[in-house]
Amino acid sequence: MSFWSRIQSSLSATVRRSQMEGEMDAELRFHLEAYAEDLVRSGVPREEAMRRARIEFGGVERVKEQCREARGVGLFQAFWLDTRYGLRTLRKSPGFTAVAVATLALGIGINTAMFSVANGLLFSSLHIEQQSRVQQIGSRRRDPDWEPRLSLPEFQELTASTKQVFSAVFGGQYSLDGLSMEGSKPDRVFTEYVTGNYFQALGVKPLLGRFFRPSEGVAPGADPYIVLSYTYWKQHFAADPNIVGRKIALDSVPVTVIGVAPRDYRGLVSILQVQAYVPLAMIVPIENTPWVDFNKQTNRSLNVYGRLQPGVTVQQADAALAVAADQLAAAHPVDEKNAHLRAFSLEAARVDGGDLDQNGSSNVVSAIFMGLASLVLLLACVNVANLLLVRATVRGREMIIRSALGAHRSRLIRQTLTESLLLALLGGTGGVLFGRVGSSLFASLNLGSDFLIHFDFPFDWHVLAFSVAVAVLTGLVVGIVPAVRMARANLNPVLREGGRGIAGRSHKFRNALVTVQVAAALLLLIIAGLFTRTLEKSEHVDLGFEPSQVLTMMIDPSEIGYDSSRSAEFYNTLMPRLRAVPGVVSATSALSIPMGIIVNDSAAVTIAGYTPPPGQAPSSISFNLIGTDYFRTLRIPLEEGRAFTDADRSTSQHVAIVSRAMADQYWPRQDPIGRTFKLSFDSTPVQIVGVAGNARYGTMVGDLPAYFYLPYTQHSKSNTLLTLELRTEGDPAAMIAETERTIHDMAPALPVFEVQTLHQALYSLNGFLLFQVLAALAGIMGTLGLVLAVVGVYGVLSYVVGQKTSEIGVRMALGAQRGDILRIVFRQGLWIVGIGLALGIAASFGAARLVHSLITVSPIDPETYVAVSAALATIAMLACYVPARRAMLVEPMRALRQE
Amino acid sequence: MDRQLELLQGTLDMLILKAVSLGPLHGYGILLRIQQISKERLEIQQGSLYPALYRLEHQGWIRSEWGESENKRKAKYYRLTATGKRKLLTETEKWNRMADVIAGILRTTAEEV
Repeated sequence: MSFWSRIQSSLSATVRRSQMEGEMDAELRFHLEAYAEDLVRSGVPREEAMRRARIEFGGVERVKEQCREARGVGLFQAFWLDTRYGLRTLRKSPGFTAVAVATLALGIGINTAMFSVANGLLFSSLHIEQQSRVQQIGSRRRDPDWEPRLSLPEFQELTASTKQVFSAVFGGQYSLDGLSMEGSKPDRVFTEYVTGNYFQALGVKPLLGRFFRPSEGVAPGADPYIVLSYTYWKQHFAADPNIVGRKIALDSVPVTVIGVAPRDYRGLVSILQVQAYVPLAMIVPIENTPWVDFNKQTNRSLNVYGRLQPGVTVQQADAALAVAADQLAAAHPVDEKNAHLRAFSLEAARVDGGDLDQNGSSNVVSAIFMGLASLVLLLACVNVANLLLVRATVRGREMIIRSALGAHRSRLIRQTLTESLLLALLGGTGGVLFGRVGSSLFASLNLGSDFLIHFDFPFDWHVLAFSVAVAVLTGLVVGIVPAVRMARANLNPVLREGGRGIAGRSHKFRNALVTVQVAAALLLLIIAGLFTRTLEKSEHVDLGFEPSQVLTMMIDPSEIGYDSSRSAEFYNTLMPRLRAVPGVVSATSALSIPMGIIVNDSAAVTIAGYTPPPGQAPSSISFNLIGTDYFRTLRIPLEEGRAFTDADRSTSQHVAIVSRAMADQYWPRQDPIGRTFKLSFDSTPVQIVGVAGNARYGTMVGDLPAYFYLPYTQHSKSNTLLTLELRTEGDPAAMIAETERTIHDMAPALPVFEVQTLHQALYSLNGFLLFQVLAALAGIMGTLGLVLAVVGVYGVLSYVVGQKTSEIGVRMALGAQRGDILRIVFRQGLWIVGIGLALGIAASFGAARLVHSLITVSPIDPETYVAVSAALATIAMLACYVPARRAMLVEPMRALRQE
Repeated sequence: MDRQLELLQGTLDMLILKAVSLGPLHGYGILLRIQQISKERLEIQQGSLYPALYRLEHQGWIRSEWGESENKRKAKYYRLTATGKRKLLTETEKWNRMADVIAGILRTTAEEV
């Protein structure tokens, strides 16, 4: 007898249930009647015969039940019966069901929301073919960080040397360009310059027209084509079906639209959407980059990806890359010294373009918030488990009767577990809805940027699978203890207790659960408190510059076709004009603004006389390229030396201004002025002419790393994109129109973007906005945790009071004062809350350490701990007081009469 | 008539298989057949017959189909399947061996030990 035919038999028994029931009836009736007839034949009177037949046969219903079981109806039928029975019982107590489902919906919902955000940013489909087979290739040389970018020669050498493991090696480089149609002002677009095999390797098919060919993008300027993204095509070309063949211009270089990308493909990064794709070598004419610069071994600006050959593992790819790195190092002993290459999953660089191996702070944030969300769910679970325990007590009689009637223990466990699973699935359904609302709220977050943002969190099968898994797990966690407890129900004590239920040890268990709840709630609240304090403090944090009354914007003259020298000229004329605008105190230009979208550049720096401590990597230091008047405009104090002047030209001695932190780190107790250091991208050493006060550029938290400034005039190379900063007398926002007019007087078509006050600019995901989001999220979870814990404490004490009503009655009848009763109940509450708080503080010490990289206050900030613990204790005591008061007001006579 | 023996646990299945091996029978017929061949010496709980039949059918050792009884009524007939036949053979053989062993033990006298 095979397993399958048995399953089949069970299935058919289940599916054809009514037919089987009918047949069973007929069969048994036939038996009884045949026997009765035989009895009649042997002389028993007819009316007596049927009666005797029945008696001798035994209980017909019992036999039927046994037959059903024998047929294996158990497997499916029992589940179906349990489900129906469960639904019926849940419907019978709508109050309980509503509270339990709502609680679970909150818990599951917050997890769904968190997960769908993390999923949207990190794991959701990029809509390419076999996403997991595409790897990003990271490299490492002197720095410990895995750089996500390679140079064009490196890319070409890699393509040749890794054919065995990658069926295709391809790449892309991001840029901002001005896209213009004939006679219109250019519009700034986020472009990706891609290798000819890019789309083919990704397995993306064009919606319209064609994509690039592998032969395209190789020779500079040879393929003046452009592929538009779906969104851009829709928004700016009204989804024109005849777009293919249209001539447009990118940074004033004419290009022809050859295709439109499919709607779902938005590039390989999260959040920012690529708007147009251009063949790689077109970067030379469009961005005015000399080919020799672009094709330099060390010009690492290309994100390189490889599609694994069928059957090749990542380990094999890594091995091949290690060989390729050795070949690189051998061929270029200077530029590729100590080169290492490794494959990374696409997730590694989806959110932030930093060190691939770190997996970015976004992963840390995701992990922390998933952790907090699961704590909220834990709290919800405890509450529902408590409710179920109370129900188990109430329903003890039912269970005992059922078990007395012969129901198996495993069957009873299954029954109660089915019920809690039903609750959890209902809660899960609510949770998914709730989570959708939550994640769409998150998606509506204003990132304060002109960039085309894709900040949407799709509800894909990842999220669905996650929610279902969480719901099922929740159902099991919530249900298992009450189920086992219920099934273990013993006949005797219940009958003796006058049917009050299965009490006893479950008190202790319940108390323990609530203690854990208090601890978890405290942990959530402390984390929330730490984030809130961080937000509060960050608004008063010493940034090192003065953000109020500064207007900032970005322009890029290359978008209207200016080459670098013409751009330089443009800026030289523009800046004095801006300074002359009434209401402008001072004006400057710079490559990047603090906390800005354009990430600060960093360079490996060699300092004469300074050797890094053993084991520490050579210094890679962030810097900014700035114009004159920069320190005056941002009000960064110049502590020593001089600022840059117009005299610092490309032909004169290359100079630098270092931050106080850099001066202290590399020239401790020495005068840094006049000293020199070497930059990896500049052959001549730069001389320090000044020391500026420390300013926060990259993040609001953590130590202030070394930083330096270079004059824009000496290092601009081909870069033409700059930010402008204007210090104004009055409200900076009021100066926007006048400033834009001044720019457009000189260049009417030049797009001006990211126009905002510096204060607004600080509300970026690198700046304050991060803290606001973190504090808000942690606050929501903390509040939920608090509510759930209070409900838990209240519920347990109320239940205890209800159970002890008669005991209290007796005590009072024997002379106990109302105050004594209050004390008894309170004492129990105090124990729960006290132990919970102690556990919570201990847990917080550990957990806060995990978030230390995201907060500016100490992870054991005493103020937060004291304030939060006190608040939680107070609220928990209130939750104790209500039931305690009820106990105190028990009328002894009535309580005793209840017995 | 001798006093009726109570059925040994686990033997009902074997008896049913044996009964239907002699030809298709309905439930009541199986009961009669067993009583007949046991010469009324076995006491079988009528009700216990059906769960056993359902179990055996579920195992695939017997198969059922609706037919007409001797007095022209619809009745469910059971017949032995091929696997059921094999099962009956092995069970019979096992039973005989077991009976021999038990009988051997019970026959043992003090001298033989």
